Formats: sequence, C-alpha cells, structure tokens
Amino acid sequence: MDFAWSDQQRELLDAVGRFASHQLNYNVIENDRDGVFNHDAWKKCGSFGIQGLPVPTEYGGLGMDPLTTVAALERLGYACKDNGLLFSINAHLWTAVTPLVYNGSEAQKKKYLPGLCNGTLIGGNAMSEPNSGSDAFSLATTASKKGSRYIINGSKIFVTNGPVADLLVVFATVDKTRGPDGISAFLVEKDSPGMNVARKLEKMGVRTSPMAEVFFENCEVPEENLLGKEGGGAFLFTRSMTWERGCILASAVGTMQRLLETCIRYANERKQAGQSIGKYQLVASKIVDMKVRVESSRHMLYHYGWLSGHRKAVYLEAAMTKLHIADCWVKCCEDAIQIHGGYGYMTEYEVERELRDAIGSKLYSGTSEIQRNIIASMLGL
Amino acid sequence: MKILVSFKSVRDPSDVTVAGAAISTPKSVINPFDEIAIEEALRIRERGQAMEIVGVTIGAPPVDEQIRTALAMGVDRAIRIDDSRVLDPYAVARILGAVVKKEAPRVVIMGKQAVDDDSNQVGQMLAGLLGWPQATFVSKIEFLDDKTRARCTRETDAGLEVVEVNLPSIITTDLRLNEPRYVSLPGLIKARHKPIEVLTCDQLGVIVRPLTTVLSVERPPKRAVGTRVESVEELITKLKQEAKVL
Repeated sequence: MDFAWSDQQRELLDAVGRFASHQLNYNVIENDRDGVFNHDAWKKCGSFGIQGLPVPTEYGGLGMDPLTTVAALERLGYACKDNGLLFSINAHLWTAVTPLVYNGSEAQKKKYLPGLCNGTLIGGNAMSEPNSGSDAFSLATTASKKGSRYIINGSKIFVTNGPVADLLVVFATVDKTRGPDGISAFLVEKDSPGMNVARKLEKMGVRTSPMAEVFFENCEVPEENLLGKEGGGAFLFTRSMTWERGCILASAVGTMQRLLETCIRYANERKQAGQSIGKYQLVASKIVDMKVRVESSRHMLYHYGWLSGHRKAVYLEAAMTKLHIADCWVKCCEDAIQIHGGYGYMTEYEVERELRDAIGSKLYSGTSEIQRNIIASMLGL
Repeated sequence: MKILVSFKSVRDPSDVTVAGAAISTPKSVINPFDEIAIEEALRIRERGQAMEIVGVTIGAPPVDEQIRTALAMGVDRAIRIDDSRVLDPYAVARILGAVVKKEAPRVVIMGKQAVDDDSNQVGQMLAGLLGWPQATFVSKIEFLDDKTRARCTRETDAGLEVVEVNLPSIITTDLRLNEPRYVSLPGLIKARHKPIEVLTCDQLGVIVRPLTTVLSVERPPKRAVGTRVESVEELITKLKQEAKVL
C-alpha cells in the first residue's frame, strides 16, 4: 500500500484546502445556533467539484478513486469548520449519489447525477422509521405496484437533508412476507404528490445539516424510478452503508487534525503559574493522545480507501474505520475542551460545537454498538 | 480577439487561511492584481468578445504551479520564460515586449503592480517599448466599435477617470475591477492537458541588461513593546515628550 501522494493528488488536496478555508467558513456560529443550512456554501462546493469527487466523469463527476476521495474529504474537514455542511455532503454522497452510480439505470444516472454533482440537486435517503432503526430491514413502509406506478405508504424519520432534498432514495417493501428480499429502493423527487416533509427535527449537533421526518401517503412514483431491482433494496442498502461507514468520517479526521493544531497553539500560548500549560504533563499527555488518535484514524481511513479502490472486500474494514474514528473524534473534542478550560466551553471559542457535532458519529450510519456487532460477526462470533 | 495576460508568482500575502490551524510553509501564489487581470480576460471571453487567452510568466520551473492555477482558472495556454534571475521592471517589460511581438494579441492585461516589490512600472514600460496606448489602474473595461477601441475607467486620486484607448493596447488592473474566481477541481484536471510552452530570453532574442541594482534588503525595525498608561494626562505627556508627535 502506498499513501504517498502524486503531484496531481497533492495539487488537488491543496486546492480543496484553499477553497474550503476561503469560501465556507462564514456565519458558522450563527447558523449552528439557528439551525440554518448554508445553501450558498453547498452550491459553491458543487461548482468547485466536491459532490462529484467519486462520480464517473461521463456523469459530470471527477472520477476520483476512493483513496483520493477520502483524502480530499479529510482536507475539506480540516479547512471547513461547518461540520453540518460536511455531514449533509456525506449523506448526499453515500446514500444518494453512490447508490445511483452503482445501481442506477443509464437513464437514471443521466437524469440525476450531473445535477447531484454540480450542486443544483441535493440528495439523501429515507431508511430509518420510528420503529426500525438498527433493525433496518424490519421496515414497515410499503410500495405496491399499480399499473406503471408504485404507491408508497409509510413514515420515515431522521432523514438527513430531508427539508432541502430534491431527491430521496426511499426504502420500502413490496412484500412484507419476503422479509429483506421484499425491500426495494425508489428515487422520489421533491414535491411528489403524497410525499410530505412533515417537520424539521431539532438536534444536539451538526445543526446546520437539516433533518426531517417524512410521510408518504399514497405517494405515486413512476416505475422507472425503481432503483436497482425489485427486492434488491437490502443489497443496495448494505452496499451504500459500507461506502458510508468507510467514508463518512473522512472529514472528521481533518477536523481532528485542526483541533490538534488549535490545542497545541493554545497550550503553548496560555501560561499558568509561570509556564505554558503545554509544559504540564497532564496537558501534554492529552495532546499526545489526540495526535495518536488522529494518526491511527488517518491510517485506518487510507487503508479502507486503498482496499476499496483495489476492489477488495471492505465490509469489515468499513465498520472498524467508522467505529474507531467516531470514538477518537468524540475523545479528541472532550480533550480539546478540557485543554481550553472554561474558554473551551464558550461558544465563541468554537471548541464546544465540535463536541456536539462529533457525538452523532456514534449513532448515524449504524451505532457504534452495531459496528461492533458487524466486526464480531466477521470474526466468527 | 486574442488576449495576453501576464502574471507574476509572489509569496502568498495571506499565508495562514484557517483560523486555528497554521499552514506552515510559505506558499507562492499568482500576484493578486494579476489574478484580477486573468479573471477579467476570462469574463471578456465569456461575454463572447475574445477567442483565446494566453498566459505568460517569467521564472524557473516551480512557477509552473502558478501557471497551472492560471490554466485551471480558464486560461487556454501558457508561456513560461525560463529565467530564474531577479529582473527589474525594464527587463520584464523587454521580455514581455518580445512575447507580445511573437503572439500579436489585441490586448495585454496585467496587474497594476506586484504585491512583493510594488514597482508599478512594467505595464507602462511595455506600452512605451511597443508604442501602444495604455490604460492603467483600471476598474472597468468595455470594448467599443467592433473591438477597435476600449473604454476604461481608471481609479485616480481625483476620482474615476474614463479614457478610451485604441487597440492594441496595454491595460493594467486595479483592485475593484472584479473578484477572481476560485480554481475548481474540474478546472484543475482540465489544466493538466493544456500546453505550457517554455522559452528562453535567447530564443526571444532579448538580452537582459538591468537598469537598476538592488543594493540591500533589510527587515523593517522591530516594534518596541508598548506600555500601558494610567491616565489621559499621562498619555498626552508621553505623546508630547517621548513620541514627540504633539
């Protein structure tokens, strides 16, 4: 495995860093407080090329391999302080764009991917339901065929990008008795009759990423919007979740690196009892732990990216990457606050927000407990 | 219409960009005023008033990074004059003059000055050497009469001055002409396939004879540590007696 960047990769990563630090870091505190999605920043990311990173060039993307893609997202996380925006981009990439790339028909790809890449369309998925979360395949939403259309009925919760999405990948069963084999995926456009984005959900962190509860009441979807095969939804979801687990915390590695550098600077500048607080071993030790967490997370991320790009099985690695980075991210944020003392608890220092933003990573894309279950099962337990 | 834009590679004046994260190594960037010149050329082409934009710079191979940035912004092709010497404005103007003769553009656009040496002479000297009209410190450009003339708004101390120049001419750009676009990833990838022609002063037939010699460059004196005063009276006393500014 070779993680030495070529000149072209380095050029791309530098461009991402420059773009993000200049274009995306405004009104972050206010938008977090008010729960505002930065639509303008989304469009800028689209025209810059972020949403097209892993998409083949013939559909308007950049056709980057997974390792380059996660490295670019890492750099994005380093330079962009709006974790909610990054979370929305990740949800869009791994739950809408990737399933389309791998399971979409030619017509579907041509219709949706260019817009999803250039920032004019926002995607997301609707899987979780009030009574099915970790046990996702027990979902109750139904889709029944009526002529050339499917009629979807049911309700979905925790739909990331729900309030702003133009296109949702909605999972529903065509036959409850078939269990997972009945689950199918549908491309549902915004304002489809019968689809109702019921309410925006308030949450603890990544507050600039909008989330909604979505109801489907006799929502009619043309049959050409079936994504993949009828009954192929569970397979599609598992593949999309593997992508998501492997990649969704790439930006968090960059965020951790930024936090580490912030803490080192603060520990050198802040003096107590006549010396920099970094000279106190209890503070230094926290920073050392942060460094080790960043490096180990980065290596797991690149390892996943390399394997994925070389078409190796990554089901286990994706779960381990997600589990490890989520743990490290939350711990890094706790340490960062502790190092900053009372100031770290204050909104204006922009450290407390990082912790609120990080905690969700142990819940979304499968809780840390689910990741452990996956790893245990892959170990024959 | 062909536009030639010249640009200089300078140390990044903004350097650290992320609050709370120090990006260590000092980077080189396109001189910000020249970036405005590139942006203006791109906008002129987007309005359908130019067919080709050629970028030119002088420097050793490391400036290829800034050339690729220009190409990624949308410049069609680039010329690098391979020369690592520190050149004075007259030498730069003579080299650019030779490039202009080779390329025959209708307009040359460049920044009014470079942010590192603040010379503000190359555009004017180039116009003099070529015998072309010049419009400097420009904040607005319009082409008139089937692109035979350009109406330029200049920012002067007296106010906004509007001048018309016959083409071909030299235009140097001021800060408020436009806000340059950022390089996109698709642009960066396209730029890899755009040609960079490397020429030498010999090939251009230019013998560089510097007219000025830099004798020394010194750091500005370090600022003394400030003191805190207790009252307005004390401040006024110090301003009178120590600073001697009152």
